[in-house]
Amino acid sequence: MHDHKSVCDRVLRLAKGCPAEVIITSGDSALTRFADNLISQNVSNSSTEISVRVMDKGRVARFSLNQPSEAALKTAFERAIETLKTQKKDPTLMPFAKPVPVAINRKLFFPGTADLSPAERAGRVEALIKKCRRAGAIAYGTYETGASAVTVANSLGIRAFHKESYAVYSVTARCGDGFGWAESPAFDAREIDFDQVDRAALDKAKMSRNPRGVKPGRYTVILEPAAVTNLLFSMGLYGFGAQFYQEGQSFVSGKLGRKVLSEKITIKDDALEGPSAGMPFDYEGMPRRSITLIDKGVARELAHDRKTAAKARTTTNGRALPMPNTYGPLPLNLALAEGGSSLEEMIKSTEKGILVTSFHYTNLLKPMTVEMTGMTRNGTFMIENGRVAYPIKNMRFTESAVEAFNRIEAVGNKTESSMSWGRISTPALKIRDFNFSSATEF
Amino acid sequence: MFTFAKKAIEIADKHRVDFGDIRIIEARRQTLSVKNGEIGSLNDIVTLGFGVRILFNGAWGFASSDIMTAGEVARVTRLAITIARASASLKGKKARLAPEPAYQDFWQTPFMKDPFAVPTEKKLDVLFAADKTLRKDPRIKSTVSSMNFIREHQWHMTTEGSRIEQVLLSSGAGCLAHAVNKGESQARAYPSTHGGQTLSMGYELIENLDLPGHAERVRGEAVALLTAPPCPSGKKDLIISGNQLALQIHESVGHATELDRVLGYEESYAGSSFATTEKLGSFRYGSPIVNLVADATLPGGLATAGYDDDAVKAQRWHIVKDGILSGYMTNREFAGRIGKDRSWGSCRADGFGNIPITRICNLSLMPGGASYEDIIKDTKDGIIMENNKSWSIDQKRLNFQFGCEIGWLVKNGKKGAMVKNPTYQGITPEFWNSCDAIADAASWRLWGVANCGKGQPPQTAMMCHGNSPSRFRNVKIGVKA
Repeated sequence: MHDHKSVCDRVLRLAKGCPAEVIITSGDSALTRFADNLISQNVSNSSTEISVRVMDKGRVARFSLNQPSEAALKTAFERAIETLKTQKKDPTLMPFAKPVPVAINRKLFFPGTADLSPAERAGRVEALIKKCRRAGAIAYGTYETGASAVTVANSLGIRAFHKESYAVYSVTARCGDGFGWAESPAFDAREIDFDQVDRAALDKAKMSRNPRGVKPGRYTVILEPAAVTNLLFSMGLYGFGAQFYQEGQSFVSGKLGRKVLSEKITIKDDALEGPSAGMPFDYEGMPRRSITLIDKGVARELAHDRKTAAKARTTTNGRALPMPNTYGPLPLNLALAEGGSSLEEMIKSTEKGILVTSFHYTNLLKPMTVEMTGMTRNGTFMIENGRVAYPIKNMRFTESAVEAFNRIEAVGNKTESSMSWGRISTPALKIRDFNFSSATEF
Repeated sequence: MFTFAKKAIEIADKHRVDFGDIRIIEARRQTLSVKNGEIGSLNDIVTLGFGVRILFNGAWGFASSDIMTAGEVARVTRLAITIARASASLKGKKARLAPEPAYQDFWQTPFMKDPFAVPTEKKLDVLFAADKTLRKDPRIKSTVSSMNFIREHQWHMTTEGSRIEQVLLSSGAGCLAHAVNKGESQARAYPSTHGGQTLSMGYELIENLDLPGHAERVRGEAVALLTAPPCPSGKKDLIISGNQLALQIHESVGHATELDRVLGYEESYAGSSFATTEKLGSFRYGSPIVNLVADATLPGGLATAGYDDDAVKAQRWHIVKDGILSGYMTNREFAGRIGKDRSWGSCRADGFGNIPITRICNLSLMPGGASYEDIIKDTKDGIIMENNKSWSIDQKRLNFQFGCEIGWLVKNGKKGAMVKNPTYQGITPEFWNSCDAIADAASWRLWGVANCGKGQPPQTAMMCHGNSPSRFRNVKIGVKA
């Protein structure tokens, strides 16, 4: 990993008075992948991207490179300055941000996790494979570890730096025609309960053998946290960004202060604390303030960058992506607040319903209602008379996430986190009349 | 660069590995977009780095870096060997590579106009012109017009003696308008959704696409969709073409016939496949008129190159022949599992930082005998759907649902009313067996998929799917939430 500070200093020196902003992202990642009870892929990658935005009298250009040598940077600058000269002026272009104090999340980097050896990863995988062989099962999955760092700096004095380590252990187990899955992410690999993940995936694979076909239709569902994550991700992507709101393309558009979801739903976007914590500033170097998007079903706040904030006559809350971009600001640290029901209580209170472990290949159909489709996966079960009765074949859902989040029966009392594009933490949800539009053959 | 690469090969040879290779890649990528009359993105990205792959005692190790020094290439090669040794510590099936001759060669994408030599100002002029026309209606609330260009210079050297240099080029462009009114949002894109059309060509593609010339129609159709009736529910004959049929091929045939996932090696992420190896040569995948050909030599194809990242020479082969499953996408590791003594050559990596994996090649539906007009004339109760909007398929590639931007009902041989939010569902073999008409070569076009995701860590690859409009009988349409 290149030294961010020295690269930043060199970039801003080469700008020679031209307003400039530099974003450096670098990462060291290692991933052991296993399938068919053996290690199928084992990789290590070290990479850096230096992305520079320059402005001149209402004109803007961005260039990126991964070689921090003086010669490479000079060539890139020369090309960008040429681009600037020939461009039309953009009257809406905002100047770079001035420095604002930013909190530092020091608790998210653990050297032992960043440098975990391939032998240690192989050891964990070996332990799982032994368990699977004993159980007549087959293991698939990944164990990924590494670290990433981001610096945002500009010629007006912004200097924001964040570094974190990560470990994600993900297991899919197969027992005949039964599948089970469990995953645990952590900033510190020592916090992962590997045995618990192994056991959860294996138990579910055994439980889901010999699934029966059931008719598509509307059912009460209990969505485990991984399945809820899929719905919440799309809601975050298409619902809570101020640009979508201002274009009238969000389900929240024109409804701030009004009830849009069930009163059982509270959604925050919080990079500073809690289960979705992460980088405490955005790609303009502005602090990511904790915001409440939905408070007991009522739409309260939106994700803003400086541009959307200016349009809404408010201040940014630090949700900018690298500028310029077409998405606008987005919430990347979503947390759906837990409720008071355990998974067992949700099942016990269900006369007839379907328990869903996770969804597969979800996609958006209509942005205004966050209507989505996708398949169930890794263990789907029929609940009858308050207990898990039998495994069922996978089903396709076609459902509006907004409408589904208005039919909440219960919210789980335990959240689980996942790492993808940002972080999302959710509890399980019990939802009535969830629409399954078709079934598949397994 | 080969002098730099040689260091890795020497270290690999010294450690007596089964196989080793190094790929050095210098890439330049330019993205430009105009959104709502402003610059949406303007980035010129240059990267350089290398990846070393080692097969030791039948197990894989891979490491990569962007630090281009002799010391770093030695460190990374030794790290790849250490990782391969850790992989080998688990006893199991040993990877063996199908043989392939060693090549010393140079190959590059043919093109007419170097897109990187075209001034940025000229490109932005085209995008601003398209965007201006798109926004000439107050109901259009969001517009994006974009271009992207990628040039990848590769140097690939293997312990078997291959020394291959390739320069791959692609260009792409598209425009999109979102109309919003009274709680309804509708989108229309040209020439296709998901960033537009991308092919292995130069700037001549952008000139041929003529975004500004199509913007008025796109705007009009986006606005018209706001008040169009919804797609009816039920069963109808479905006519699809363009990027929708391309994605249908991609999801339900391309991914389904990647041999690594057929063998279970993608089970933890994207899933496996119903098209299992015992079905090869006998399974009726589609009706007898369905011929799907993989082709790494196809002019303009995004997966077209002289060699794949296993150093296997480009080939052309049937995946489905006369409706029967006849081949797979293979790499050298898995080709032997289906009794083949040579890979078909469909193994590629995303940049220098990823290990090569089995990918979909260019995969095209061969043209049929009828004209497109005759297919419509011959349809009593059908629907035409155009431009993919959403896609989803189960992890064995059986149950799928697609949503499109726009549809037109066909009644008694005539294209009629426009409908909004058209969707359809199906089961892969049933769907392809219901194909009873494929238009002729006159309407056959190549469509790029520039964002195919696969693998862990995730990798993106590009490929093309040529097709002409095709009809599928009695398909479930108009899926309701």
